[in-house]
Amino acid sequence: MPEPDLKKQKLIRAPNYLVDRLSEDASRQGKTLYSYVSEIFEQAARANEMKRSLKEILDIFEILEVPREAGAIYAHKDFLDYLLQKTFSEQGEELQRLWYHTGKWYGTYLGERFEKPLEIFLRLLQEGRWDLSEVTMNRDKGIVEFRCVSAFASQERSLLLQSFMEGALHSLGYRTQEKKCFKGIIRLKFSV
Amino acid sequence: MKRKMLAARLDLADKILDIAAHRGTLYDYVNDILEQAIRAEDLGLSLKDILDNMWMIKTARDAGFIVVPEKIVYDLTEISSKRVGKEKMAAIWYETGQWYGHYYGDPKKLETAVKTYFWDVSEVKISEEGTNVAVTCLSSKFSVTYTVMFSKFLEGALNALGYSLSQNEVSKGIINLKFVKSSDK
Repeated sequence: MPEPDLKKQKLIRAPNYLVDRLSEDASRQGKTLYSYVSEIFEQAARANEMKRSLKEILDIFEILEVPREAGAIYAHKDFLDYLLQKTFSEQGEELQRLWYHTGKWYGTYLGERFEKPLEIFLRLLQEGRWDLSEVTMNRDKGIVEFRCVSAFASQERSLLLQSFMEGALHSLGYRTQEKKCFKGIIRLKFSV
Repeated sequence: MKRKMLAARLDLADKILDIAAHRGTLYDYVNDILEQAIRAEDLGLSLKDILDNMWMIKTARDAGFIVVPEKIVYDLTEISSKRVGKEKMAAIWYETGQWYGHYYGDPKKLETAVKTYFWDVSEVKISEEGTNVAVTCLSSKFSVTYTVMFSKFLEGALNALGYSLSQNEVSKGIINLKFVKSSDK
């Protein structure tokens, strides 16, 4: 790599321990510290264009690795809605059972894998591409309340998502106290 | 705390300076960035890999994908095939594939998308040779029905890219398709 032009560079102060660690990483990758730092800055600027900090992006990335490890796949929402619409009237109960049991498996998985599985479950709903525009969770004296909103989810998909959430929460030791579901609006209240 | 000086490309350093001005001090912001680079390295990835991945996820969301536990998709496919009929189901998968073919517009981009979004596919290769394209797709998780449906998805996508199916071998978890450039494209 050519020597960088001193007029085209800027010096920035950073703690010793970080610079030392980055020097090690750069040399392991066969790069100069200068080019490695430039790459890092380039990605920080890119993250900023995505209206996120690098920390937020890494946090989301780690959360989104969960469905991959837990055996989830991408499906197109129109395709899923079509299948549900065609099958729900006759097999709605069976589908709800299926989603409930999948939720139970998911909850068990999160319980085994994370110290705070409920928080991870919330992040998964928020970031996990369930087509929800709003997901909130309130905890108060052993009561956990979820509110999910999607302007696009069909009644069938909303009911199934509700079953999935119930399954997950039940496997984490919660009992359903109240549930309401209407075309993309889900309210679920659980107690310990 | 002891500090050292880091040299960075002037234009990038200026950009970072600009961003930091909205987020606190330059020193804290740079520390945070460098810490995240180390965090990525500890995950065995570069920041670029992670941002590329996030970009693909954003694209998936914009394209209307949602993440669903695979068991649900597999079981739903089986149930729907019985309820709607295999031919009708195959037509839906084919049509969905066509949409993705048009969306990605290129066999290599389609291959990248399949690798990125279909985590249950263990191997996918779309190779072009002159006017021919060969598609190989393997997954140990696919049922017979799901394999047939997924092959229809790939056929639809390649068809939208201007290729006609010339040969196909489909068995549980294994898809081998060959295509030739359509004369009218």
